[in-house]
Amino acid sequence: MSGKRIRLLIWKEFTQLKRDPMLVRLLLLMPVIQLVMFGYVVAADIRHLSTAVVDLDHSVASRALTDQFASSGYFTINARPTSEDDLRPLLDRGQIQVAVVIPAGTQDHLDRGETAQIGIIVDGSDSQVSAVGSGYASQIISRYNRQVMTDAGVSVAAPGVDAQIRVMFNPTLDPINTMIPGLIAAIMMISLMAIMSQAVVKERESGTLEQMFVTPIRASEYLIGKLTPYAGLATLQMLIVAAVGILWFRVPFNGQLGVVLVGLALFMLTCIGLGLLVSLVSHTRQQAQQAMMFIMLPTMVLSGFIFPIASMPPLIQPLTNLIPLTFALEVLRGAFVKGSGFAALAPQLLILAGFAAVIFTASIIATRRRIAE
Amino acid sequence: MKASLTRIGAVTNKEFKHLLRDVRTLAAVVLLPVIQLLLFAYAISFDVDNVPTMVIDYDKTPASSEYVRAYDASSFFKVVAHGDTLNQVDTAFDANTARVAVVIPAGFGETIAAGDKAQVAVLIDGSEPNSAKISQAYSVALNQLYDQSMTKSWAASQGLDLSGIGALEPRVRTWYNPERNSTIFLIPGLMAVIIAIVTVQQTAVTLVRERALGTEEQLLVSPMRRTELMVGKLLPWTLIAFIDVVMVILLGMAVFGVPLRGTPLVLALGSALFVFASLGMGLLISAVAPSAETANIMALMIAFLPSFLLSGLAFPLDQIPVVLQWFSGIFPARYMVTISRGVFLKGSGFAELWPELLTLAGYALVMVLVAARLYGRKARA
Amino acid sequence: MSEHPFPEPSPQFPEHSPQFPEPVEGPEASTSSANLPQFPEPSPQFPEPVEGPAIKVTGLTKTFGTFAAVDGIDFEVPRGQIFGFLGPNGSGKTTTIRMLTGTLRPKSGLAEVLGTDVVRHPERVQRRIGYMSQKFSLFEDMTVDENLKFYAGVYDLPAEKFAQQRDYVLRMADLVGREDELTRNLSVGWRQRLALGAATIHEPELLFLDEPTSGVDPVARRQFWDLLYELAGRGVTLFVTTHYMDEAAHCNQLAFIYRGRIIAEGSPTELRTKYMDQRIFDITVSSADLALDYLVSTEGVDEAYLSGASLHAATAAHSPLSADDLRQRLIGAGFADAVVLEVEPTIEDVFVNLVSRQR
Repeated sequence: MSGKRIRLLIWKEFTQLKRDPMLVRLLLLMPVIQLVMFGYVVAADIRHLSTAVVDLDHSVASRALTDQFASSGYFTINARPTSEDDLRPLLDRGQIQVAVVIPAGTQDHLDRGETAQIGIIVDGSDSQVSAVGSGYASQIISRYNRQVMTDAGVSVAAPGVDAQIRVMFNPTLDPINTMIPGLIAAIMMISLMAIMSQAVVKERESGTLEQMFVTPIRASEYLIGKLTPYAGLATLQMLIVAAVGILWFRVPFNGQLGVVLVGLALFMLTCIGLGLLVSLVSHTRQQAQQAMMFIMLPTMVLSGFIFPIASMPPLIQPLTNLIPLTFALEVLRGAFVKGSGFAALAPQLLILAGFAAVIFTASIIATRRRIAE
Repeated sequence: MKASLTRIGAVTNKEFKHLLRDVRTLAAVVLLPVIQLLLFAYAISFDVDNVPTMVIDYDKTPASSEYVRAYDASSFFKVVAHGDTLNQVDTAFDANTARVAVVIPAGFGETIAAGDKAQVAVLIDGSEPNSAKISQAYSVALNQLYDQSMTKSWAASQGLDLSGIGALEPRVRTWYNPERNSTIFLIPGLMAVIIAIVTVQQTAVTLVRERALGTEEQLLVSPMRRTELMVGKLLPWTLIAFIDVVMVILLGMAVFGVPLRGTPLVLALGSALFVFASLGMGLLISAVAPSAETANIMALMIAFLPSFLLSGLAFPLDQIPVVLQWFSGIFPARYMVTISRGVFLKGSGFAELWPELLTLAGYALVMVLVAARLYGRKARA
Repeated sequence: MSEHPFPEPSPQFPEHSPQFPEPVEGPEASTSSANLPQFPEPSPQFPEPVEGPAIKVTGLTKTFGTFAAVDGIDFEVPRGQIFGFLGPNGSGKTTTIRMLTGTLRPKSGLAEVLGTDVVRHPERVQRRIGYMSQKFSLFEDMTVDENLKFYAGVYDLPAEKFAQQRDYVLRMADLVGREDELTRNLSVGWRQRLALGAATIHEPELLFLDEPTSGVDPVARRQFWDLLYELAGRGVTLFVTTHYMDEAAHCNQLAFIYRGRIIAEGSPTELRTKYMDQRIFDITVSSADLALDYLVSTEGVDEAYLSGASLHAATAAHSPLSADDLRQRLIGAGFADAVVLEVEPTIEDVFVNLVSRQR
């Protein structure tokens, strides 16, 4: 291996990159823009659900209950229809997501010491809204009941359980804290793989790949020369994107910076390597494109970035271990949210390193075998 | 007009021939979305249950055991470990072997026997907000119920008449998706996203291919008007993608039991328009991109994340800053997801969904016109 | 020709005489190279003087699956020659070159390039050879200068040598003053010459050219071959593949390859005499395609095809048909303006003949 030739190859890559400002912009600028945009989306919490209250009772109790809903922070009362029938169009068009129906005679039931039913309607076509919305609504009603009991003097005397429910690591359960780190990784992955997958194909199509291999340039030198500039750019990208993510969204950082950087660096290597591998085995740009999609869709869906792995069927869960992003997410979420250190995350980091090693070995083999075709 | 149609027909024919010769691409375009839908629809869900729970019982009395049994009985919690010390919770959370930990302090039974409220700690791993939220809600519910039942039995044993105290009881009705099966919620959206991603990619490549092969010049010189060229190019793909959509819909219904409650015609029309619009977007990218390489990269980046994140598939769009909401309107996937969910689950028809249909139609129109405008400008430059 | 006298030719090189073949048909038959630049003092001696042929191939085979792209070929190329490898597309030319340049492994057989087994020691060979592909592999998004700098660096040219070579290439390719232009903005003719310059910047002893003139106009082709002659004149061995039959006449030695096998070998003259068992008639007529249909079906004519602007008809060597007989027949068939001449077979005629014999 000749250091001189490697430097020459790196010089060549940079010279070409210089002439393609769009590419550099795609690599550095666009991820930042995407991060900011999507950050807002993934971080949005389910709150201020648009709610309609149908108060058919018009009593002290019904007004008290309605106030509780309104002041909870979870529900925003946007409509007060006069009958239940009016709810249908509102829900159908998605103008409201939750409806509370207080039937006539509620106060009377309460006064008589009977149970009064309160109707809660949730929009099931949005599963998170329905799960969370009904949960919050039930809680509010529970609290109301407790208040009633306390007022009656019962609860104070009775034995019971007082549960202190504490959420650890992410007390506000603000999705920001787990989604932003995940988003950083996802954005890096997409941009790096997209660019690398085209890198070699371009040279194969123009014939310069063939030309280079007739010269004393060796396969390994070529790969290193190709990778280094992109790895450098990717590192830059990683630092910029991570910094923006953390600062802009004020993501609390509980862990060790070192762990995050090492994890991201390893993940970045895997992405570059995978893109390069695709580029090496594809004959045309279109093939490279399709291969990319074939890899990225399952990655997005099965890595746990959006859809929790714990919710996946047992048959599928082992498959998620084939995806590098899965482990990168564990490292990032662990470091950001739980403050996990190297010791706790060692398995994931080692696996990421393993992925990188396997992919690069495959790349070298692919280069040696396919250059002439 | 007739000449126009003939020319469009000629281009369509040519594109079809290209396609049919390229079996690999054809297979990819037709089969892949179907396979992916099957796989992903099976895999994804937001439903949470059998949450691994660790119990640390410092008390070890009948009272504490009875309390623990409440968790055992719940289908939501799954007691997987009994620990001895608090440190084990940290380890379990770190290793993700438990997501919830119930810690019963010593003296639990005594306190209850004395007639007081005994404290219990429930720790929830918040690093996975989705399940954490739901776990939190269920813990609250479980404990409230337990507390209330304790109160009731105490009251009964005291001979107290609780009947004077009224209570409200929530009756929850979930519209459109009574079993709260998140898969049913996700599949209509997933369909739209998969198609969006696949279609934008495809067309981004075709125009650049022409440019590369040099046939672009030929076409520009001919009497073919650019709009006709665009339309001709899009039609075969539209047809194929539409076939895809149909297959995907049928599979969704047959395999996953997604109900179709609304007007199928709206769905069909929406799908066709959506496919056309997505393809148009791809066309626009390829007309604008300086090189094949950039076209590919742009298509990938523009089709991918936005389809997942800005379409309303998994993340609600009404809580985000208004600016972003408008921005999400740029992506056709958003409208398709609304239409899809509307028709499948909400039983919607034209009355409810006409805004989205109109938008998609307008979208498709604009895309084709703009792409036609820009195409060839590059060539002349 | 150049005014620089050649140094004493090293004893290793055979008596050099690039046989300038018969004048080529076609426009611009001028071989004046007065407008070609002076090239610098060539290195007095190639660094690794080795005896023997430039290329020696024995039983070389390459299969792709069950398809034999190259099926056991043998040939030898002496030093200093211009060796032409002719054949239609898909006959195995490019595959052969790839094996000889060390970028493709043969299935079996021996390939010795400049005395070294290229399969076992490709790096040693690659240092001493040059290659120019039909795509003129230049980096489109780099300038002329940057391209040259890259290839010079790859071959580890010392700075002074590079400066010298760079000058020469720029003048040879007529790109002086355009060093900072991107190669993608150059037209085909310039790109072709630049590609040649880049391929020879390290002064290789042997140069492989894979269809170097495809897509280039006849004038530029002519000028390109002048450059190739210059190289040959300096002792560089040239291995050229082409499917242009008229270029075959530029070569000292030819080998025809068809479907992976060598079907004929020899100098252009040899090929025309040794292999030819047909007589060739050149026919000029206005309605060429109709005349072609007629000739193909007429008795006594074995082959008929378009050749350049006219038609060629081949008859058996011993056929009694004369040019006049053919003319009479054509006139009788309605082609009143037919002019028929018996001619010496061209390389193309030889090839058509050989191929039809294979079928």
